[in-house]
Amino acid sequence: MPDSQPNAVSVTINGTQIEAEAGELVIAAADRNGVHIPRFCYHERMSSVGMCRMCLVEVDTGRGPMLQPSCMISVTDGMIVDTESDQTKRAQEGILEFLLINHPLDCPVCDKGGECPLQDQTVAYGPGESRFIEEKRHYEKPIPISDLVHLDRERCILCDRCTRFADEVAGDPLIQFTERGNETQVLTFPNEPFSSYFSGNTVQICPVGALTAAPYRFKARPWDLEQVESTCTTCSVGCRVAVQSSRNELVRYLGVDIDPVNHGWLCDKGRFDFEAIKSPNRLETPLIRDPNDKDQLIETTWGAALAASADAIKEARSGKIGVIGGSRLTNEDAYAWAKLAGSVIGTNNVDAQLGDGLPGKVVLGLPGATIDEACSADTVLVIGPDLKEELPILHLRLRGAAKKKKVKVVEITPLQTGVSSYAHRSIVCRSGEAAKTLKSLLTSDDELSQEIRSGSVVVILGRSSLAESALPAIEVASVITEELPKAKFLVALRRGNVRGAIDMGLSPGLLPGRVPLENPNDEIKKIWAKVPTVEGLDTAGMLRAAADGQLDVLILVGADPLVDFPDQDLANRGLRGAKFVVAIDNFPTLSVANADVVLPATAYGEKGGTTTNIEGRVSRLAQLVTSPSAARDDWMIASELAWRLGGDLKFSSMEEIWSEIEQVAPSHNGITLEKIWADETRDGILITETSIQLAIEPSGETPVVDGYGLRLISGRKLYDAGTQTSNCASLSALAQDAELRVNPTELERLGIQDGSEVTIISTKATGVAIAIADESIPRGTAVLPFNNPGIRANLFINSELPVTDIRIETR
Amino acid sequence: MGYLDGFKITFGKLFEERVTTEYPKEKREKPDRFHGRHVLNRYEDGMEKCIGCELCAGVCPAKCIYVRGADNPEEAPVSPGERYGFVYEINYLRCIHCDLCVEACPTEAITESKLFEFSFDNRSDAIYTKDELVVDDQGLPQKQPWELWHVGDDLKTSGWMRATASSGNPAYENRVGWSGELGYGVREPERGQQFDESEPQNLDGKDDQD
Ligand code: SF4
Ligand code: SF4
Ligand code: SF4
Ligand code: SF4
Ligand code: FES
Repeated sequence: MPDSQPNAVSVTINGTQIEAEAGELVIAAADRNGVHIPRFCYHERMSSVGMCRMCLVEVDTGRGPMLQPSCMISVTDGMIVDTESDQTKRAQEGILEFLLINHPLDCPVCDKGGECPLQDQTVAYGPGESRFIEEKRHYEKPIPISDLVHLDRERCILCDRCTRFADEVAGDPLIQFTERGNETQVLTFPNEPFSSYFSGNTVQICPVGALTAAPYRFKARPWDLEQVESTCTTCSVGCRVAVQSSRNELVRYLGVDIDPVNHGWLCDKGRFDFEAIKSPNRLETPLIRDPNDKDQLIETTWGAALAASADAIKEARSGKIGVIGGSRLTNEDAYAWAKLAGSVIGTNNVDAQLGDGLPGKVVLGLPGATIDEACSADTVLVIGPDLKEELPILHLRLRGAAKKKKVKVVEITPLQTGVSSYAHRSIVCRSGEAAKTLKSLLTSDDELSQEIRSGSVVVILGRSSLAESALPAIEVASVITEELPKAKFLVALRRGNVRGAIDMGLSPGLLPGRVPLENPNDEIKKIWAKVPTVEGLDTAGMLRAAADGQLDVLILVGADPLVDFPDQDLANRGLRGAKFVVAIDNFPTLSVANADVVLPATAYGEKGGTTTNIEGRVSRLAQLVTSPSAARDDWMIASELAWRLGGDLKFSSMEEIWSEIEQVAPSHNGITLEKIWADETRDGILITETSIQLAIEPSGETPVVDGYGLRLISGRKLYDAGTQTSNCASLSALAQDAELRVNPTELERLGIQDGSEVTIISTKATGVAIAIADESIPRGTAVLPFNNPGIRANLFINSELPVTDIRIETR
Repeated sequence: MGYLDGFKITFGKLFEERVTTEYPKEKREKPDRFHGRHVLNRYEDGMEKCIGCELCAGVCPAKCIYVRGADNPEEAPVSPGERYGFVYEINYLRCIHCDLCVEACPTEAITESKLFEFSFDNRSDAIYTKDELVVDDQGLPQKQPWELWHVGDDLKTSGWMRATASSGNPAYENRVGWSGELGYGVREPERGQQFDESEPQNLDGKDDQD
């Protein structure tokens, strides 16, 4: 660490003098200098508790050597530490013998066996023999403490890691030590499972096999695992993961600790959704509409499917083709599709977002912040979706920073979110009116306003509700740029590689490398056969055009507009209105069932490449398993189509695509393959450069609700009826049925019983849901999860309006 | 005369005892430690000993064992405890009969018989599945159509011993455990290697099994 820092102290560890920072723990200083001190309870991302005493070392601070737990004492100047003395060894042997007294030694059937710190440290530091011949303590063998985690109390060594994590990091203190002495054990509270979104982390940090994950239970042993490091693309935070497989099947993901992003943590959805990849529901062969029965899709060959798609594209009127989707893709795939659309088909009708984000130009035009910047700013303004549900690890980072008093989180939201629990101030505003609320906050003489203005500000900006259009969020951006010109933004887009797809030009008005369509760079003009000049339509525009018969071919690249586009009615009309629909996907989604040709694509873990997270950080994806079917990589499909359309994308591997991106995309210039594959790039490469000038258009008015109306608020839940989750056996059960939550006074006013069925009426549709009285919901609003089992909110939403109001009636 | 010298050996051998046998009609007695194909043992109550721990697969130098564990069905457990061997396969085109798997097994589930004479006519026969490896209700190996068996061959199990200690001292024997087994009861284990007779057998002074 720092030599010349004023608070540097000098310590001797095993005879070697080292520099350490005053206040640093002895165990951390030793780690940094390559001296390993055995430990069970110490975890560098959590506070020290000194529970296990495995880290005892001899420390001499001038009063003679004494055994001290190195995870509890800080270095002082002149301290002499001996981690290998006879005393230390005796202590280590003693502690291990003590820990093993009640340990069942289930190693052969224990999921931790083979990678167990208790095994390893017993071999390395243990006494080699046991003197304990009495009967051991017994508990019921694993008890499920949640749907995902099993607890075997016999194996627990009471290190307090899981309980500390639940309380300190996750903020879900649902597991605790109970009983005393020999009976001390970890348990949940009666009738309250450990249902945390982050429970899987406790399994990873448990130093023994006491906590095991249901989806991995008995699936493999450490010695038959293969592992690569990759990036999670379940949401767009981009957590670093170790992907593990056994016999060509994904069996486990583990969080990898990188400083700028996930600190080693993963959310449970990201951790366990590998199950979807080996799901029997995966699309395996190309499908085509049966010529004899128009309602049927039948299996066909790649040749026939591609030929049919190419023919349809060739026959389409010029400019009447649209490409929707792209956030499932790698950067390379996205570039290939952008090039196919722009250079071969010649259209700018491309949009990676499904009308559920913000316009690409806004995403790239706002000054960007990193997660670290957000976690160290004076104030973080959260105006967007519930981060806990949509970007869980960003929520965890922010929570950690807020708890350590590093940032002040101010939230403007239409309803309580996961952030509210640690927000300095949580301002509830009417859905769609965040900008107004923000403006009045910033222009008031409220103390908070002064505090916000006087320090650094990062805004986490997104759509607070999918029943709102993007407009309210854009208004917020315009208020901020006006009032707080130095503020930086972290745009809360949710889907996997949505940011990478926008960077690669899969957004109307953009070209690869964050370049505006109006002003193409020279390289692209050289390399692309043609560069589109007319700004294309976004997803809503394409669907509208298709519905009006103005679009001939619609290509869905990993997109399911019927489920994910906020306005199902429009999506439906769009898919039916288009003459020909090509769907490229992993699963037979609702939209896929409406396609004329279906092409199966390879999934996560089956292909390499790069991905980009919300910050604009490019990191590596690795291939570990092969696809179980005839599926192909998305870029290959793009290349094939291009070839059949008489073009040539001119690349034949992921690497070649990256090299072209590096040339064509100005923001990515200089980021060579070597750099991407270098060891130091584990953290990813942050790309901040952009050529987009932000011009926020003046906004419209938020319509007033009619007297009987409730404003609809709809956000996504972590576990929903989405394709990925519903194809994971372990996660799909966690998705709760959709319920309409309304303030009890509203229900009373309408004469509706709590828990009864109601009819929801909007301008778009009528549907039935269970109404639940919920004090936390502001009056005048109704909350329906966007896509949970039962009823989808996008039935009711009118995407043409900035907000959607509904009425409810008893049945 | 020199060229006739060679025949001396031939003639000499004519009057010596014959060492060849009429194989395969006749088989020689196998040495105690002979390693044949494996069996998966069961406890006296019929439960399988294998717990699907994959230690055998992990140690196998030829990578010929494929094991998968699964949760024991609660109503009809296959083995005692939480986990049982749900898939078990050994590929005899690869096995080198080193018996490391036998050493590694924590439950004495896998041992070797002295059966080794196979005449497969396809590769998949060479991959013995769990159904083929697990002993029958008498605790004896099950005959496969391609195996050459003479009467009594199935009764001969491989010598088994566990004379290892973590310290790696070959003279250390400690207590040899052998849990009750279908068809054999408690089997007499083979004792450890004899070193110098004058040396004490158990260096740590602990008693053997009795
Ligand atoms: S926790 Fe470790 S030592 Fe304990 S049974 Fe499991 S593998 Fe063995
Ligand atoms: S369950 Fe694991 S992490 Fe939790 S206290 Fe026990 S040993 Fe520690
Ligand atoms: S005898 Fe050796 S080669 Fe054969 S299965 Fe056992 S460990 Fe593998
Ligand atoms: S045979 Fe033995 S070592 Fe192999 S899986 Fe079964 S119990 Fe484990
Ligand atoms: S690691 Fe220090 S007491 Fe547990």
